[in-house]
Amino acid sequence: MNRKAKIVGLLVFVLLGAIVSGCIGGEKTTTPTTSEQPTTTEQPKEAVKLIWLSTQLNPPEERAFVQEELLSEFKKETGIDVDFIPISYSDMATRLEAEEKAGKVTIDLIGDLHGGLDYFNSKGWLMDLSGMPKLEGRTFITTFEKYATIGGKKVYVPWMSATYVMVINKKAFDYLPDGLTKEDVIKGTDKWTYDAFLAWAKKLKEATGKPQVGFPAGPKGLFVRFLHGYIYPSFTGYQAKAFDSPEAVTMWNYLKELWPYVNPASTTWDAMAEPLLRGEVLIAWDHTARIKNAIETSPDQFVVVPVPRGPKGRGFILVVAGLAIPKGAPHPEEAWKLIDYLTRPETQVKVLEKVGFFPTVKEASGVLPEGPLKILAEGVAAQSATPDAVVAMIPNLGAKGGEFKDIYRTAFERIVLKGEDPAAVTKELKPKLIALFEEQGVEVP
Amino acid sequence: MKVKASYLPYLLILPAFAYLMFFVGYPLIQALYLAFTENGAFSLATVNRTISDPRFWDALKYTIGLAAVIVPTQVGLALVLALVMNRAFKGKDLALYALIIPLTISDVAAGLIWYAMLSPSGFLNKLFLNIGLINNPVYFFGYQFRHMEFLAIVLAELWRATAIVFVIILAGLQMISPEYLEAAEVFGADYWTKLRKIVIPLLKPSIQSALIIRTLFAMQVFGIVWILAGRDIPILAGEGFYQLTEIKDYGVASIYALTIAALSIVLGAMYIKFMKAEYLEVKE
Repeated sequence: MNRKAKIVGLLVFVLLGAIVSGCIGGEKTTTPTTSEQPTTTEQPKEAVKLIWLSTQLNPPEERAFVQEELLSEFKKETGIDVDFIPISYSDMATRLEAEEKAGKVTIDLIGDLHGGLDYFNSKGWLMDLSGMPKLEGRTFITTFEKYATIGGKKVYVPWMSATYVMVINKKAFDYLPDGLTKEDVIKGTDKWTYDAFLAWAKKLKEATGKPQVGFPAGPKGLFVRFLHGYIYPSFTGYQAKAFDSPEAVTMWNYLKELWPYVNPASTTWDAMAEPLLRGEVLIAWDHTARIKNAIETSPDQFVVVPVPRGPKGRGFILVVAGLAIPKGAPHPEEAWKLIDYLTRPETQVKVLEKVGFFPTVKEASGVLPEGPLKILAEGVAAQSATPDAVVAMIPNLGAKGGEFKDIYRTAFERIVLKGEDPAAVTKELKPKLIALFEEQGVEVP
Repeated sequence: MKVKASYLPYLLILPAFAYLMFFVGYPLIQALYLAFTENGAFSLATVNRTISDPRFWDALKYTIGLAAVIVPTQVGLALVLALVMNRAFKGKDLALYALIIPLTISDVAAGLIWYAMLSPSGFLNKLFLNIGLINNPVYFFGYQFRHMEFLAIVLAELWRATAIVFVIILAGLQMISPEYLEAAEVFGADYWTKLRKIVIPLLKPSIQSALIIRTLFAMQVFGIVWILAGRDIPILAGEGFYQLTEIKDYGVASIYALTIAALSIVLGAMYIKFMKAEYLEVKE
């Protein structure tokens, strides 16, 4: 008994000790690794190792694709080792700021969205790339090139892009309203308007007995991007500036009128590929990555088209990721070689095939094989090429991005789902929206 | 060296205590800190931010409402099932397995199964359309059909989680000594009298455990609601998750978590207080 008690006591303490030391040790080690510890790069000439921080391609399978396919081939070609570090936007901003302020930069290359790079540039942390050698054999799409040059300085090289498009099940073309043709929709002509869309949705419901339009308005869906980046600019010309304008009220009333022709289960959908494939809707709007699966599964059934236009033009969001070199980076020439490799048409097509981001160079579409990806790429290209485009960039509000989205989501719920007065609701929410931009020092788009 | 026997119980519960302190106590203190401080000082700003949002009250209402509908129905259903299964019949083992299978399915998977079944082009609608019971598909999902979404959640939860109550009650039934029932028969008690006077009172400890377990799980309900209704039917765990992952407001998310904890503690305490177990031998 005596002995047993002793053994029990000993066991308990060993166990406790293990737990306590484990937790203390664990906590101590996690914090400093990301912020400090400059990796040993200042070695003699021969072994160059680039440090590439990226907020893009972070999910495990995309990361594996970068490391195992893209970078191993780059090393074979140039002999340069690359350390690919997936990182969140806020961690990257903290690290870059610390390094730039200390004057000891270890980062060679940064991959981030337009908004983030724009911000880093405004802080003076990025190199002007206009002095770098020309990248041969590719033409960057002009819209992207235009955005990458800020105040006469070439801040980044456009790397990948994504957008949100409409997918039409070809059956829906049997029910086109008067005055709208299939060509109008596919090419995105003047006749492909939100009013025509409403007439089409109405006709579809009357003919089939079911609402046939779908939006990803579930809790993790991207419907809120449709609100601030598509329909708002199309009706008001701005994403947030004219949030409570009379044009905005017209827009909300339009959405109210449209909603009876939208499948009600939309409020539970996070991505549209499944509802499209199940045949629950014939027309859907979503992010290219979230409808890719539907088009790959039945490429003959669907076509990707530009979004409709409103009174102020055809509003749509372009998500552009760019590659930039920090000021004072240790190996700018080698980093430029990596940029050269990543923006080649062949590499860009590989990225589209594997992770669904679209090319930023025109030549890439020519290299694309026939098939589902071509259907997608053509739709995206048609949308980007419409002459009445009102391009919206997702505002870079950092940690406040969630609150920004919540305001549009709340407005939608209160106005369209609960039937509140659009003028009153938008007036009530606007100060909160504007305050978000002011807090972050970002211009109201 | 002699370890006094009186220390032994403390030593024995020490590992469990340490475990709870680390995995429950520490996060709880963290949550309290996040909820009630701002810039390091005590503040009720987060609380005000939470309770001024009508969604919080909706979430509270729906969480309690769902539990109020689901838990009693489950206990009733499980009691009937347990009484049926507590006698010998052919194929009993098979029936037992079939009843318990849903227990092994995760709530998200259960949600997806019911979503597929109840969707306008799903199994149930197709069946009813084909046999001519309905002319148009019945919509279960979408903000406009929140009462149907509520029904769908109740159905899915009944299907998935009645089994746990059933297992506990069946175990309780099997513990009841046949001597009591035989004694009652000698005095001429019929089935209902036996059920009311002997079986149910003796089952109280089992029913109490089942109620506590089910109610606590009901307060945390998340996966099924998230899949079937999104945020059309807000619930505490779902809104907490939304605040944490979308809005990144850790303080408000903590208050949602603390509300779930407080509700669980209060309800658990109430069950223990009002459902004192009765033992025939010690009853005065």
